[in-house]
Amino acid sequence: MSPELQMYLAQGIHGLAYGMLLFLVASGLTLIFGMMGILNIAHASFFMLSAYLCVTVFNATGSFWLSLLLAPLAVALLGVLVERFLLRRAQASGLGHIAELLLTLGIALVMVEAVKLIWGTEGLQVMAPAPLAGLVNLGGLEYPVYRLFIIGLSLAVLGLLSLVLFRTRLGTIVRAAVSDPDMVSVLGVNTRRVFMLVFGLGTWMAGVAGVAAAPILTVFPGLADQMGMDAFVVVVVGGFGSLFGALVAALFLGELNAFGIQFIPKLSPVLMFAFMALVLAFKPTGLFGDRE
Amino acid sequence: MKPHLVCPAAALAALVVLPFVLGPLHTNLMVRFAIEALFAVSLNLLLSFTGLLSFGHALYFGVGAYGAALILTHLEGIPLLAAVALSALAASLVGLVLSPLLVRVRATAFTMLTLAFGQLLYVLCSKFRAVTGGEDGIMGWTTPAMSLAGVFSLDVTQSVNIYFFAVGLSGLGILAMWHFTKTPMGSVMISIRDNQKRVDYLGYQVVLTKAVIFCLSGFFAGLAGAIYAVFNNLVSVGGVLHIMVSFQPLMAILVGGIGTFFGPILGSGLLLMLEEATQAYPELAQMISGLIFIAVVLFLPGGAISFGARIRAWWQKRAYLRKAREIAA
Repeated sequence: MSPELQMYLAQGIHGLAYGMLLFLVASGLTLIFGMMGILNIAHASFFMLSAYLCVTVFNATGSFWLSLLLAPLAVALLGVLVERFLLRRAQASGLGHIAELLLTLGIALVMVEAVKLIWGTEGLQVMAPAPLAGLVNLGGLEYPVYRLFIIGLSLAVLGLLSLVLFRTRLGTIVRAAVSDPDMVSVLGVNTRRVFMLVFGLGTWMAGVAGVAAAPILTVFPGLADQMGMDAFVVVVVGGFGSLFGALVAALFLGELNAFGIQFIPKLSPVLMFAFMALVLAFKPTGLFGDRE
Repeated sequence: MKPHLVCPAAALAALVVLPFVLGPLHTNLMVRFAIEALFAVSLNLLLSFTGLLSFGHALYFGVGAYGAALILTHLEGIPLLAAVALSALAASLVGLVLSPLLVRVRATAFTMLTLAFGQLLYVLCSKFRAVTGGEDGIMGWTTPAMSLAGVFSLDVTQSVNIYFFAVGLSGLGILAMWHFTKTPMGSVMISIRDNQKRVDYLGYQVVLTKAVIFCLSGFFAGLAGAIYAVFNNLVSVGGVLHIMVSFQPLMAILVGGIGTFFGPILGSGLLLMLEEATQAYPELAQMISGLIFIAVVLFLPGGAISFGARIRAWWQKRAYLRKAREIAA
């Protein structure tokens, strides 16, 4: 394999891994938006919190796998509590979606500061577990196994999500509620409880992404902003409430990011926003969405 | 004097006397209050009167501030007011350039798009150090005295004079926006907030009205930024374009009272007082901001300005109850 081809392949897989991570975060975000009409500004903060919890559990027990199990669950529990005791009350304020945006913004700010108070402002590192730490030979290209593991893990979560969504009764209700929550409620489903579950599921996926990202990204308080902006762009570009759109947009932005850093490093943060502006200029509902 | 002019006249007199009563420290605080209030009212034009939540209003503030800094640094001999006006116009122009995109989206998509544009300019200004000075910013230019037609001259580097400069310009700006809400176009703006489809159906120019609002709101946010630049003699990306700069006026609107014209002014004042009270703990600033967002949305969605109405309602309820008890007895 020529060095140039190797570079393209390496950047391509880099982009794929980041895109899948992005999809894990954005899919929860877009599900929650589709059902409840709430763009959860604090979503990426759950992602960050999970990464920090991963560091703590890892340092305490030395087991990456235990933190992969525990941290997302803890974060999901927090998400359920936030939905039940904060978001549900915000809807009574009479300010519409503005109240929810401002409330979740407040939660995001508090979480970032809480993280700084508890873990400090310095970047923390987690080591990938032993069997995943090395390199693997892909037809002449030495590639880190862990990034391939991220792709696999994301695919597994995606498979689990599609199983739940398309093969269970709960999934049917969720899909129906995404397209018309009022009608589902009228049919006698306790949509509030479904909302709470979906919120928990969404934050759990953000949590899984947080733990998965911890070994390849530095765990620092700016993590939420970094991931959050990307995830919002994915949701907006893919179309609010569209899972398929989120998948396409996440993969595309992952590659855009990887090759942007390779070829125009100075402008790579700008590419994403420019792309989003371009999409919105031609289709305000996003690529695969049908609502604003 | 007509009775309805007494209150404004008294307020004006108080504003004129204030800098001589307060020390330089508190006079500077009043300058910051004037800047914050103008900025918040300009954002409120979008939030409370057009129903659009922007997460990127620092964009206009930053363009105004950088505009003033660049003009005053590179164009020697330009009159101060011309520099300030040009900077505000530049911010307004940015609103015009972005409006073809901004008018197309509503609700959450609008919020996200403004966030993206705000971050875009933040990143660009951090990277192009040659023009903007990056993180260090631009500083140390000599601010010319403000002169009106060569008759009257004011050295704005002095504490009392910058106070009159800032409070005067902010006051005029806020007054202009207040009048705008009372014009026919202002009525169309409020109708767009309440039901955009119906306004469109009735034959009013939704797109054009929105574009004008973006330009106006951008102009006054830019004006606030320009005053900020003149006051601080330092403009940096962290100070004028950071995302927290966009959240500050939002918080003022929320604390003061969303949906009202004067709430944001009250809110700016309250927030500055809070900041003064907690300035020993700057690391807690963001935490406090977050808690304020949560608390106001959950417990006081009408903001501080709704306190008066609440107390009145409570008082009336008491009176009714007393009367009811008397009748029952």
